[in-house]
Amino acid sequence: MVKYVSFLGCQIPMRIPSIEIASRKVFEKIGLETVDLPGYSCCPEPVVSRLLDKTAWLVTSARNLALAEELGSDLMTLCNGCYETLVETNEVLKHDPEELRKTNEVLKRYGKQYTGKVKVKHAVEVLYEEIGVDRIKQQVVKPQKIRVALHYGCHLYREPEGEDIMRKPNMMKELTRLTGAEIVDYRLERLCCGYPSMQADEEFSLKQRLLLKLRHIKEAGADAVVLTCPACTIQFEIGQVMLKRYGVQYNIPCINMMELLALSFGVPSKDLHLELHKSPVLRLAQKMEAM
Amino acid sequence: MVSENEITTYLRQELGEDLIKASKTRERRVSVRIKPTALRKAVNALQKQYPTLRFMTLSTVDHGLDFEFLHHFHVDGAVVTLRSVKPKEDNTLESIVDLIPAANFIEREVADLFGVKLVNHPQPQHLILTKDWPDDKRPLRRPLEGELPPQARPVAEALISTSCVAPISAFMQKKREEAGLPRTPPFAFTDEKTMEEFHGIMKDTNLAKKAGYDWKKKRLRYK
Repeated sequence: MVKYVSFLGCQIPMRIPSIEIASRKVFEKIGLETVDLPGYSCCPEPVVSRLLDKTAWLVTSARNLALAEELGSDLMTLCNGCYETLVETNEVLKHDPEELRKTNEVLKRYGKQYTGKVKVKHAVEVLYEEIGVDRIKQQVVKPQKIRVALHYGCHLYREPEGEDIMRKPNMMKELTRLTGAEIVDYRLERLCCGYPSMQADEEFSLKQRLLLKLRHIKEAGADAVVLTCPACTIQFEIGQVMLKRYGVQYNIPCINMMELLALSFGVPSKDLHLELHKSPVLRLAQKMEAM
Repeated sequence: MVSENEITTYLRQELGEDLIKASKTRERRVSVRIKPTALRKAVNALQKQYPTLRFMTLSTVDHGLDFEFLHHFHVDGAVVTLRSVKPKEDNTLESIVDLIPAANFIEREVADLFGVKLVNHPQPQHLILTKDWPDDKRPLRRPLEGELPPQARPVAEALISTSCVAPISAFMQKKREEAGLPRTPPFAFTDEKTMEEFHGIMKDTNLAKKAGYDWKKKRLRYK
């Protein structure tokens, strides 16, 4: 059995725990053993803290990696933002001995040390590479007859090794296809949802980023958006509500890939607490169950 | 001619822990960072050692969250700058006019332009602003703000105080429990000792300082 330290991050367990519930159910069904990381902190988030103080960002992130190293397992993230922070920190610390020394100088004050042994992977990679498409396909008992648009999220394109930035997005595409969903092409898959620019300019973020995507997704005839990133999910869900202020009405369900997988594995929607979404994901799931 | 090293060595000896950092910034320039409470002690020490000491001027920088006061002195061919930083919430500048009468006008100018209250100044009236000038509108005073734009402030505050950027609500804890999950994931904030460690890292690095975090009030110094 494959074993990973599961890095839950902040947004999933605190804001959209239905993703955590679905992920745990998916891992159980496909035989992926995971352990939570006791005493972990925010990864920390890759925008504000990194720009404010890079050393603090590195040390805080390295502390999380050191905790995983103590448990002796590699680390798997469910969140794209956590993936970016932890992968980048890991790369810096593995290749820059001076940064590693400075980071460990702080960590040692608290009885911790990071030696660079941990591998950081996104859940998409673990499912695709470690479990494999065939094993996952075997679990699909209720193919989802819907048309979906994929939003990969910018951080999923990050590649610590190699230059194939579509490696993980393509894995996500294939995993989504396993659920029975039909994937529509809306031509703006690569465009950012606008979550980071909300920190600086709300109107730009909503109208020049999110709205463009929503228009194209709607025009492509998608029933839902499938995502892996909780921050993008928040932007899509809350953003649709906020766009009403600008006289624009959208109410597209935004479902996480793990939730879609869980539904296709036959997990009842009521067990996933999909009502915690701010978009009509529960209604969509109930509609699919009734089919 | 007294050397820069002699000046810093002397001040280190006189000020002890009140001196934070002293260095020669370039030829004949000495920068001495002191605790703000030690300003008068430092001026006294310079006067005692250097009879030809001349006060040049006082410059002030509004850094958003703090005021930096730079008292410049001429010491035997060298310029010695005493740098002291005070949080803007304090909003005072201790006068040195009784020690250096020439500081009278510049201290009043700083008070006028930055809205700083002078402590123990013999003539604390306006110097360049009119008598009816409003207290809350000072020409060179910036708002009490750190580096973070408004939307980023809750993120930084939550991260530093709770180790998590999305603090959990009682509603969500209940929902998690209903779903068979622990009320909170095993975050640092669930354990006091782990939280001490996390806060230690926030203090050891510069994140909390740069964000302008107040450890006593457990929030940012600005909204």
